[in-house]
Amino acid sequence: MPIEEIGIGRLAAGVDSSIVNRLIFIAVVIVLTFVVFVLRLFQLQVIEGEDLGNRARRNSVRTVYLEAPRGDIVDRFGRELATTRPAFGVHVMPAEMRERELTFAALGSLLDRDAGELAQRVGAPTGRRRFQPVRIAEDLPYGSRIRVESHLYALPGVFTDVSPRRYYVGGSLAAHVLGYTGEIQVAQLEKRAFADYRSGDVIGQAGVESRFESTLRGRAGGRNVVVDVAGRVDEVLDEVEATPGGTVVLTIDRDLQRAAEEAFLPDVIGGDEKRGAVVVLDPRNGDVLALVSRPTFDPNSFAGGIDSATWKELTASEGRPIQNRALAGQYPPGSTYKAFVAAAGLEEGAIDPEDRVFCPGTFKYGRRTYRCWKRGGHGSVNLHEALARSCDVFFYQLGLKLGIDRMAFFSNGFHLGRKTGIALGTEAPGIVPTEAWKVRRFGEVWMKGETISASIGQGYNLTTPLQLAVAYAAIANGGTVFKPRILLRQVGPDGIVQQGPEPESLGRVPVSPEHLAIITRALEAVVHEVGGTGGRARIPGVRVAGKTGTAQVIRLEATEHLEEEEIPFQFRDHGWFAAFAPVEAPEIVVVALSEHGGHGGSAAGPIVKAVLSRYFKASMPDEPPSPPGPLDAPDPLDPPKPAEEAAQVVRN
Amino acid sequence: MFGIDRRLLQNFDWMLLLLVVAIVGVGIINLASATHVDGALTGEVRRQLVSLGIGGIAMLLVLAIDYRHYERFATPALFVCIALLVTTLVFAPVTRGSQSWLFGGRLQSSELAKLGLVIALARYFHRNPPGEIRRLRELARPGLIAVVPVGLIVMQRDMGVALLTLLIASTYLALTRISWRSWIGVAVVGVATLITLWVFVLQPYQQRRILDVIDPGRDPLSSGYQAIQSRIAIGSGGLLGTGYRAGTQTQLRFLPTQHTDFAFSVLAEEWGFVGSCAVLSLYLTLMLWGLRVARNSKDGFGAMLAVGLVGTIFWPLVLNIGMVLGLAPVIGVPLPLFSYGGSALVTSLVGLALLMNVSMRRYVF
Repeated sequence: MPIEEIGIGRLAAGVDSSIVNRLIFIAVVIVLTFVVFVLRLFQLQVIEGEDLGNRARRNSVRTVYLEAPRGDIVDRFGRELATTRPAFGVHVMPAEMRERELTFAALGSLLDRDAGELAQRVGAPTGRRRFQPVRIAEDLPYGSRIRVESHLYALPGVFTDVSPRRYYVGGSLAAHVLGYTGEIQVAQLEKRAFADYRSGDVIGQAGVESRFESTLRGRAGGRNVVVDVAGRVDEVLDEVEATPGGTVVLTIDRDLQRAAEEAFLPDVIGGDEKRGAVVVLDPRNGDVLALVSRPTFDPNSFAGGIDSATWKELTASEGRPIQNRALAGQYPPGSTYKAFVAAAGLEEGAIDPEDRVFCPGTFKYGRRTYRCWKRGGHGSVNLHEALARSCDVFFYQLGLKLGIDRMAFFSNGFHLGRKTGIALGTEAPGIVPTEAWKVRRFGEVWMKGETISASIGQGYNLTTPLQLAVAYAAIANGGTVFKPRILLRQVGPDGIVQQGPEPESLGRVPVSPEHLAIITRALEAVVHEVGGTGGRARIPGVRVAGKTGTAQVIRLEATEHLEEEEIPFQFRDHGWFAAFAPVEAPEIVVVALSEHGGHGGSAAGPIVKAVLSRYFKASMPDEPPSPPGPLDAPDPLDPPKPAEEAAQVVRN
Repeated sequence: MFGIDRRLLQNFDWMLLLLVVAIVGVGIINLASATHVDGALTGEVRRQLVSLGIGGIAMLLVLAIDYRHYERFATPALFVCIALLVTTLVFAPVTRGSQSWLFGGRLQSSELAKLGLVIALARYFHRNPPGEIRRLRELARPGLIAVVPVGLIVMQRDMGVALLTLLIASTYLALTRISWRSWIGVAVVGVATLITLWVFVLQPYQQRRILDVIDPGRDPLSSGYQAIQSRIAIGSGGLLGTGYRAGTQTQLRFLPTQHTDFAFSVLAEEWGFVGSCAVLSLYLTLMLWGLRVARNSKDGFGAMLAVGLVGTIFWPLVLNIGMVLGLAPVIGVPLPLFSYGGSALVTSLVGLALLMNVSMRRYVF
């Protein structure tokens, strides 16, 4: 419609004439845009059309999603703990199948599977689902794979592929450190943190696998390929290679880890396989050299998606193998706690190193009688002897002198009762009771008798093996509480090294180095002196300091008349052993817990010894199995080793 | 106000309606092919038809009221839109990395915001004729009107829609008389600022994050794959197309999001060069007709409204067709009136009803 028809009057009232020019400008822009579009369409459809059309008629550009191989997890010396291996899968594309019956029969015999079951698995999909490959085998052994591949030409619609699959080199070795991987869960997919994941992606679900997911994951690639009717790749159009994940270097020492795990096997301690945990730290920097939780599991069984029966078995089983006892298991520290009470006593001036206490085997307080584990009593003991022989009566009295809140202050100083902050899974905080804590928790007033229990690490006190190791590391290194460190460094796929966190001090214990030295001398006596409770951790040529502990699960009276074998398993005591070596310049802290294992010296001592022996590369001497005795029974002492043997000890 | 004036019916813009019906119709026929499974009417088609019904009713309501009344409500309407965007930001769950859906996914608040913004800007430029704007600083106030909703959409991490909204608002710049030199100055300063920020301020991980947000498809599996598959689909259409429901690319679902963002590829494969050009010319006619409505409108508000509404069709079309033809990066912007998506269809129809409203009241004083 020409402008004149509109009428001048209307223009004056409405749109001014300068706008009309601008509207024409916009119209020109729009028309030019469309000209570009039409030219481009002409180019794509008419000029290149035939070629592209052929490609489409061969129907058949497929994108292959190239999963990035997950990065390796290696120990501190670069030895593989977890890596990635190829897994061969077989798929069927229903739309491209000919002669269903024959194909399934052939596949059945090639894969040693029932043809009917395979047919059922693929079903008879209709519509678009006919073009979706169905996986019928996901991790074929080499032999079957060769058989299938050599028959592919006769089996249109069947194709194989290779995908990376997590492989834990040592099976269950360090399972609780490494964690496991699995398909990303629906709930995780909805989180923003996982925005760039797609359903079916593999993701770390626990432990190091989960904690360092961003390093390990890598970046998926893709390949656009033209396939022929049988699904064979005809031509690769373009490809973006997957970027493998980076390597995570842990502070773990694989050999120590293995030694610590094998220590739980029947041939080391005798009897059945034991439950429990071991934590091995370097007291100079907090490096976690080994971390064990038993029973354990094989993370390889999760790698290709775990079936619900196995998962149920793992989670519902009474031994709870998935739980990481070293971090999340809370146990009364028992007599291992005495080292902290002793430190508190010295620091507070509540006791002099030479003060002596007479232990008749019992301690009367109010109307109750508290027993020493040694029924006959220890006689007259000073602090040194009381720690070495683990005299309960001595510590009952010391505990009463200090009071619960002073004991708690020093325990907290050793970082007990708080999470250590290790970069690994869920951690329990433990409990260090105080008067205020009891009021808060139970609404009840603290009883003096409870202080007596607390002074030997019973009662409300709860500790994780990791916490105890951190605390003993502080004794060993002269007072620094180190945050346990699991990550040494990360190495990107491009070789760029990113160092892990520097050793981090969580604070200093409120105890002077002189007093710590007194404690350390007593702890050495535990292992090396006649009457010490920890002789089983002795190894030739190395000065070892340690403390045994026996944590009661139920009250003493209920079971004390029974021999150990007669006590129902779940009521048996937990055995602790916390040790460090060499005394003159400690390099290693080992804390072992044998759950329901009985006495600390006999149940956990051999575990500590196995680890220390491995660390100092001394061969384990044969030792006669000692008969189970009452609580914390001292072991028959080995005679001191000759000096030349000690000189041969090679330090790691 | 609601009375049906005989003159309104006489002056009704049947041409505009015809164009809209044609485009939506082809869109639904195309959708049926893109989603069809064994000949049955799919849920997508049914939902799209329901949306069309809702859109039709909304159109009637919009048409019944003289558009000049909308001017009075422009400011409150903009505030309602902003409030909706804020509500979405606060309450709506995050889906696929961006949060923009409200009321259980039924309403995309940013869609509504585009219309609200156009009405508000039309009101502003009616009162401050763009033909008299010669200096950049005079754009400060309308700029503010646009920046608030765009900023909120950015916060929803919906970068495609944010860009789109900004482009729609920028349509009005074509009407101003700011000299080319000023624009070059703006461009130089802007680019320099961005480069400085990028090089000196942002950490590499922040740069990566920004790239990921701007272009989530840096992953070759989404953008590279989509681009290749789309090109193959379009190319295989040839001159005359493979025929309805006969496109191998489409029917074999090689095309990703083929009923939403890549709907045009389906059309191009099945109807060929001729079909594609036909649909493109429907759009071209629609937009030129919209400009004609602007020119013929009886007041400045109507003209400004019409220009803005043409912008709401033009920009998503440019981004979508550009993407489908491999001329623009893969940004998930649907083709207006054509792609599957209820919220977008209803708002597009409401926008066109506004355009018809301006058109049919061009002689009413």
